Amino acid sequence: MARNWFCGSNDHRVSRRGFLGTAATASALGAADMTTLDLLQSPALAAEVKQQQKHVILLWLAGGPSQLETWDPKPGRPTGGPFRAIPTNVPGVQISELMPKLAQRMQHTAVIRSLNTRNADHGGGAAMMETGRAVEQGLPYPDLGAMIANELGRADSQVPDYVSMYTSTEGRRKGTSGFLGSRYAPMFLTEQMVPENIRKLEQLSELDHVQRSDLRAFLANRFVEGRNSSSVSSHNQAYQRVRGIMASEKLFDIEQEPLEMRAKYGPTQFGEQCLIARRLVQAGVPFVKVARAWWDSHGQNFETHLELVTELDHVMSTLIDDLQDRGLLEHTLIITLGEFGRTPGINSSLGRDHFASAWSSSLTGCGVKGGAVYGKTDADGQTVIDGEIKAGELFATIFEAVGIDSKKEYQIGARPVPIVDFGAKPIREVLA
Amino acid sequence: MRCLPILIVVAGLASPWNAAAGDLLPADSTVEGAIDHYIRATLVERQLAAAPRADGQTLLRRWSLDLAGRVPTLAESEAFQALSPSERPVATVDRLLASPDAAFHLRNELDVLLLPDGKSSDEWRQYLLRACQENRPWDRMFSEMLIGKEDDPAVRGATQYLRSRATELDDVTNETSRLFFGVAISCAKCHDHPLVDDWKQDHYFGLASFFNRLYVTRSRHVGERASGDVKFKTTAGLEKPAKVMFLTGTVVDEPALDRTAEQNKAEDELVRNLQQKDDQGLPPEPEFSRLRQLVDVALRDENQRFFARSIVNRIWDRLMGRGLVHPVDQMHSENPASHPELLDWLERDLVTHGYDLRRLIRGIVLSEAYARESVWQGEGDAPDPEWFAVAATRPLTPRQLSLSLQIAAMNPRDVAGAQADPTWGPRRQQLENQSFGLARELELPGENFQVGVSEALLFTNSQRIQNEYLRDSGDRLVSQLKGLPPGESVPLAFRVVLARQPDAAEQAAFAQYLHDRADRPVPATQQLVWALLTSPEFRFNH
Repeated sequence: MARNWFCGSNDHRVSRRGFLGTAATASALGAADMTTLDLLQSPALAAEVKQQQKHVILLWLAGGPSQLETWDPKPGRPTGGPFRAIPTNVPGVQISELMPKLAQRMQHTAVIRSLNTRNADHGGGAAMMETGRAVEQGLPYPDLGAMIANELGRADSQVPDYVSMYTSTEGRRKGTSGFLGSRYAPMFLTEQMVPENIRKLEQLSELDHVQRSDLRAFLANRFVEGRNSSSVSSHNQAYQRVRGIMASEKLFDIEQEPLEMRAKYGPTQFGEQCLIARRLVQAGVPFVKVARAWWDSHGQNFETHLELVTELDHVMSTLIDDLQDRGLLEHTLIITLGEFGRTPGINSSLGRDHFASAWSSSLTGCGVKGGAVYGKTDADGQTVIDGEIKAGELFATIFEAVGIDSKKEYQIGARPVPIVDFGAKPIREVLA
Repeated sequence: MRCLPILIVVAGLASPWNAAAGDLLPADSTVEGAIDHYIRATLVERQLAAAPRADGQTLLRRWSLDLAGRVPTLAESEAFQALSPSERPVATVDRLLASPDAAFHLRNELDVLLLPDGKSSDEWRQYLLRACQENRPWDRMFSEMLIGKEDDPAVRGATQYLRSRATELDDVTNETSRLFFGVAISCAKCHDHPLVDDWKQDHYFGLASFFNRLYVTRSRHVGERASGDVKFKTTAGLEKPAKVMFLTGTVVDEPALDRTAEQNKAEDELVRNLQQKDDQGLPPEPEFSRLRQLVDVALRDENQRFFARSIVNRIWDRLMGRGLVHPVDQMHSENPASHPELLDWLERDLVTHGYDLRRLIRGIVLSEAYARESVWQGEGDAPDPEWFAVAATRPLTPRQLSLSLQIAAMNPRDVAGAQADPTWGPRRQQLENQSFGLARELELPGENFQVGVSEALLFTNSQRIQNEYLRDSGDRLVSQLKGLPPGESVPLAFRVVLARQPDAAEQAAFAQYLHDRADRPVPATQQLVWALLTSPEFRFNH
């Protein structure tokens, strides 16, 4: 059965938010750790909330990783490249030898080998794989993070709903909250790991900072009366969240982690950002995107992948272990995704080019059937021969895995807009 | 298959497509008179109560934001108070519409409407500003945007509309249809519209055919080829040449192209050169321009209702918070207007008065429907927004907000506003330029706009807000307030920032705040001004 812990109906949503709202109000101002907050209330509710509190970590492999050097190897074929396939701890499932650590953790991971998304252009492919559908004029679709933030975030949350971490040029796509509005836009970290405007100005005393906010709230509460406008309420909510968000600054500070833990993730930027992602998830952030760049290997594909896949193997395995040790893996979905895959054909620079017609993604943890493999490509990886899906089906699967009804529709003004591309259904075979 | 059903069904209303002009109020009614007649009629018919007229100061602020793009200055508030209540509306609206601000504001509105997403350019903005200053008719602006005269400096900026989209045929087709004709037609690209009989693939590709010869040269000029057609595949799998067709089904007859293979080759070569090399001069004009045909066919008497209704509806939406047809890009037979006769009347009025946008804007803002309170204090729930019984509470655009912050944070004696002050025009320009930086940090409100926490963090913690708006220097409000007793400083702060007097509870709360910090008047005053500038009352037009 799909993990559909809350049905997405308004009633359920309201009561859930209502409960969580109470929890937040009851807490001390400025508490950043929502996992603690969740447990403050009655044990029965706490258990339910713990179940419901889902998170997503998107490992965005910018530029397009090769499915042949990751999840769908074709050893011994002209397209297979120099790397072997290795068995995993799930009988019958093989992945690239560049991922030995992930191979020993396949019981948590579902692999999808049958994406055919047709758009092999970086901009268009990214827009599609960020939003789960093709661009449509006049209706700016939100990206996955914004939709998850909208579904799993809380109106009064003291932590950000959506954090997006940069790497370098290729990874630096902010994404868009589209028609959901900037309420669901990412906290976007481009230059440094300290979020913008999260620290109080030194010239302002702590007391003044708090008290002027009370003065503002006094005016705001009077203005809200008699105005039934979600836009007006959102203004007040945004200001109410400020102190909590400020207190969450320490979540971004890697110095707060023991050296031993930092050593496990390793000293790379990607490793450190994944460690921060775990800290954020642990504190209640629903969606974290970590972008790792430079997968666009038109030349020297194999050297590039030797380096990048090895790093991914190590960091993602550490992340899986870390989440599992903390009891968070069953509530946290890790996704690997890029804008497309890479051609089975190897070009004259020993590279692989853009390829959107038969490529792979992986889902690990929350809500997925570990060890499942969905879809199949032909012997050379040129075409999908079984279970072909588009971005919409992948997105529907992701939503169902974290308990969001993939048949849900947003009401945008007068128009109902389905949360996934029109008609897209989840892949039941990979859902736990 | 990405079409979205539109589920607005308003029972009992005739389709606007069928309304006969003969049944309308006389053409010589005033615009505001016609609006109030039709809005009132629906309220009576539905037995709905309406909110009372807002007080004068509230209306002054609303008019200033909608016509000048900013809050009123203290001098303007004082001048307003000096007028008799009966002369205030017309005098204020006409003063604002004649002010330099009006052109800047309308320019800003058209800029973000027509070229969002950073596609705007300086030349484009200059073009729009000049056009708004002259109150250039809307049909002429449309024509200048589509039939770009690249060698005429006076209108060259207008072609940015096409330039930024010319390389994407779908973009230019869909956007032109949505923005100028109120029709979101992208669904009909893949199949005849499943729910709306009006839109077929023939319409989509017919409209695309007007644009398919466009190209942009390396020197960033917009050119149009003399040949080239659109073909498409129907859902039945048939390949079909598109007719050059407008939304109404009007097909453009083209002279038969009698071109040799050599001529085609020569054109290809020419276009390739223009696209690859600098300094190749302007692209040649084709002997038969499809873009010219589009302007011609869209503005013909029998076709112009799309063009006229769309801008009427969009301006109504901007000023009233919701379109007469809503969403504004869904004008079709399955989505009738809330007030079909009113839309017909306004459409006719716009056309018979030469597409004069200012006349339309003036009429809307002088209507009773516009002037209602935005708070519902009547019994039960407020009537649905589509009946315009209560004024909408609308988020300010980034430019309205950033400019209003500038004005409100200034020493009020330094800024006269749109009074008889000959230096105001250049001053406004300067303030406008200074406010761009902050405007870029803020989101343009769309439907269901929600304020994000990043905005609240920006206003709470950024050095920029502290420096620019809360500075204790002679040119800022803070310095004017800090030496005054609370009995004077609190009312002055409210009048400058919120354009109203504080009520007793507000006066008491703010005076107490200042009193408790009497030992450090500057920071105390700064926090008071901050609280006012970050209040929702400032953030919204209400």
